[in-house]
Amino acid sequence: MVKKKIAKVLAFRYKILAAILILLAGGLVLLPKYQKHEGIKPELLVSHAISTERYMSTDRLAHILINQDPSFILIDVRDEKSFAGYTLPNAINIPLEKLLDEDSKTYFNQNQYNVVLFSNDNFYADQAWILCTRLGYKNMRVLKGGINEWYTTNINPLKPADNMQATDFELYATRKAASMFFGVVYPEQVKVEAPKVVKEAPKKVITIEKKKKAPAEGGC
Amino acid sequence: MKELEKTKRISIAATLFILAVIIGLLTYKRPKNIYAINTKDTLEKITSKNYLVTLNDLNNPDDVIIDIRSQYEYEKGHLENAINIYAPEILSEDNLKVFDELKESNKTAILYGNNPQEVNAPFLILYQLGYENIKLLTIENSYLQNKLISKNSVIEKSEADITAFINESIKKANTVETVKVVVAPPKKVITIEKKKKAPAEGGC
Repeated sequence: MVKKKIAKVLAFRYKILAAILILLAGGLVLLPKYQKHEGIKPELLVSHAISTERYMSTDRLAHILINQDPSFILIDVRDEKSFAGYTLPNAINIPLEKLLDEDSKTYFNQNQYNVVLFSNDNFYADQAWILCTRLGYKNMRVLKGGINEWYTTNINPLKPADNMQATDFELYATRKAASMFFGVVYPEQVKVEAPKVVKEAPKKVITIEKKKKAPAEGGC
Repeated sequence: MKELEKTKRISIAATLFILAVIIGLLTYKRPKNIYAINTKDTLEKITSKNYLVTLNDLNNPDDVIIDIRSQYEYEKGHLENAINIYAPEILSEDNLKVFDELKESNKTAILYGNNPQEVNAPFLILYQLGYENIKLLTIENSYLQNKLISKNSVIEKSEADITAFINESIKKANTVETVKVVVAPPKKVITIEKKKKAPAEGGC
């Protein structure tokens, strides 16, 4: 009797299996809703965004530019007008609105070059960095302080006061040299040797001291 | 006989497959935080700029101010009625609950830090997670005698016209060339005559 029942169920076994498979297939249609997770996990993004690793100092960038390191691409995320006004040497303009265009992606989605993003300060550049990092692009950097910082360090460096440390003076000398590299001309640099006035050696006046006669010492 | 063997294999394979799928489904963990807004829409939002507020816009009763600096700095001084949520911890359960509640009650969360740049990352991440009711307060904080001073600050302000500066420096350098040779007037040498000591006059 039992055997007969089992045999009856077993006769349907393929239909049952097929039904389950179809149900599962139907379930798969619902799954992708959760997997539509574009880019890296939010937790990871937070930890990347909190660390200051992405920032590059203007001095380091100046060093890279002067040495003409070919592994760096500079990207200006400001609008076209500011880009036309002034930008860093060899920078490429990708305004923030066009950041995710197909053309722009070729610059970001690669592993060969380091990309340095910059704007007037680092607000827009940071936003661009966050979006790119979320999409999993690597080797992205942000110029700390942006163009404004660039101006105060490598275009118009502040002369250290006399009472500052020797390292400040060294830094100033490096920055000044860098600013010359980036086009700033200093008066003393151009001063074509103002005709040297040969100073005549001051005449030494040798005065012969007269020997004083020993005062007549009085005595009795 | 051969036919039977084949069908047996098929049914075994099918059962195993179903088992695998079921195990997969049971162990599947839904990620805790999911982006609700994709990068394209986020980009549109951040280029529209209506997410920035200044100190003058702060009188709305529906605004809740959130301080993303560390607890230490918060205790040193903070804006009135501000809640402290430290930036690296924005994704912790308690903090997300705060944001959820704000969203449900239709309140606007206004984030601030020591400068607008600092708030940028937490703001954008929260926005991408679907909290569209947040804004960024563009202020700069500093302390004077342990009192917090907040100033409005403008983001992305170009502080100097570098092209003009460079051109100016070149112009200046070129005009400097005609250096006048200033002949220093001959120095007058004032010799101080020594007073002769009066000879010791002898005497008795």
